[in-house]
Amino acid sequence: MSPEIIQHDHLLDECDDVIGEIFARRYENAPNFGIRLECFKESLQRTVRKYLFANNPNPVTVNEVKTFLGELQANDLFMALACSNGSERAWWEFDQQHRAYLERVARHLASSEMNAQDVVDTVYVELYGTRVIDGARVSKFSTYSGRGSLRGWLRTVVWHSLVDLHRMSHEEVSLDEMTENVGESHAQASFAEPSLGGEEQMIDHLARERYRKTTLGAIEKVFSDLGNHEKLLLLYYHVENLKLREIARLVEAPSSPLRDWFQRKSAQRENNPDMRIHESTVMRWLEKTYGKILKSFRSELLSGKGLKEEELNICLEIATQDLASPNLYRNLRPTQASSNNV
Amino acid sequence: MINKGQINAEELKIQGLLDRFLKFRNANNNLRENESHLDDDSLTAFIEGKTNERELTNIIKHLVDCSFCLHVTGELTKLSDAFAEDEVIITQTRKEPTKISEVLSGLLSRIFGTNDGAVFAHQQDEEKEAEIKEDEDKTS
Repeated sequence: MSPEIIQHDHLLDECDDVIGEIFARRYENAPNFGIRLECFKESLQRTVRKYLFANNPNPVTVNEVKTFLGELQANDLFMALACSNGSERAWWEFDQQHRAYLERVARHLASSEMNAQDVVDTVYVELYGTRVIDGARVSKFSTYSGRGSLRGWLRTVVWHSLVDLHRMSHEEVSLDEMTENVGESHAQASFAEPSLGGEEQMIDHLARERYRKTTLGAIEKVFSDLGNHEKLLLLYYHVENLKLREIARLVEAPSSPLRDWFQRKSAQRENNPDMRIHESTVMRWLEKTYGKILKSFRSELLSGKGLKEEELNICLEIATQDLASPNLYRNLRPTQASSNNV
Repeated sequence: MINKGQINAEELKIQGLLDRFLKFRNANNNLRENESHLDDDSLTAFIEGKTNERELTNIIKHLVDCSFCLHVTGELTKLSDAFAEDEVIITQTRKEPTKISEVLSGLLSRIFGTNDGAVFAHQQDEEKEAEIKEDEDKTS
């Protein structure tokens, strides 16, 4: 146990009543799932330790723990625990309620009906669990904590399963290519270096190269100075090609702190926190960030690098001309050198 | 003073510059050695906006640094959006419960081309023990 968990763990004893109430309501709905209070309590405590206590040096109050417990998807967790324990009744209900959904998700993602069926089969086997540790079967359900909905979690499991299945048959294909996303392949397209002619062209080339490096350094600096939420917004839009609607969905939950970061506290929003985030709102956030970047970029080149206004225009011109070429980025250093990626 | 037309043209240029920069940056953006990827549970909580502010700060920092998890969350967000209207449909088809072992045996035989008895051996043992116990109870 981490020091933070030990520091906060006594709070769990004060939440027995809340856990008891949550359990009683679920048990009333599904007494034949065979879940005991101790098993349910243990699962909730594990979740609290993982998400609320671990790596949290700040003080946590009993009320925070109780609120946290109240926000868990207790019905979904109850079913997942029962399935994990091998309850026939729970499996039957799970199959009834979620199999068709799993199949639709798999069909949506897979390239063929056969692949979709393979994925559903694999997910079922994984959910049941074929690994046995210390004489006990390990079900994938045991990793579900109830933080998100069971269906959301199932979508994640199906997605990973499909990627694994695809990897087994196409080992050389990257994750980006596999999921048909634009990535390195576009940035790496090779372009011929312009041939260098006489002295004049050489001088021109050197000057352009200097401006290129200055431009790159400035955009790198400006991006690194942004807040992480702004960086994430830009990465989703430019790298992952998320649509505005999809980004809006990501911040849709009224309780999402991500939303608070972007939203200005308006009286209208404070009175109606459930108000929908529209695509136009996300566009405004993006525009605001672009404006901020342009301002910082100008300031970095003019004040930081001591360039003149006309030189700044040259930098922007070169950047525009180089948009079709990766030349500008060839000196960009990787942000992390290790290769721990899956 | 810069006029509005010039700002718009500059903004377009900076957007293009940023676009190329981000794509290249992300292609070289790998995870630190001592960091692990987000698990299914955390990914789901993030996609559904169920994380608290402290967790979210760490998750966002991780996503900015880890192109793999960024990509996964991007794909899961698209998937979540595609199935947004599908959340409430719960189908009830069969009237009688089927045995898990029946369902999974069928699946395993399709996947591995055999009935994987080993997987369910412990369950069958438990069932057998229960039957024996029941018989013993009856006789006593």
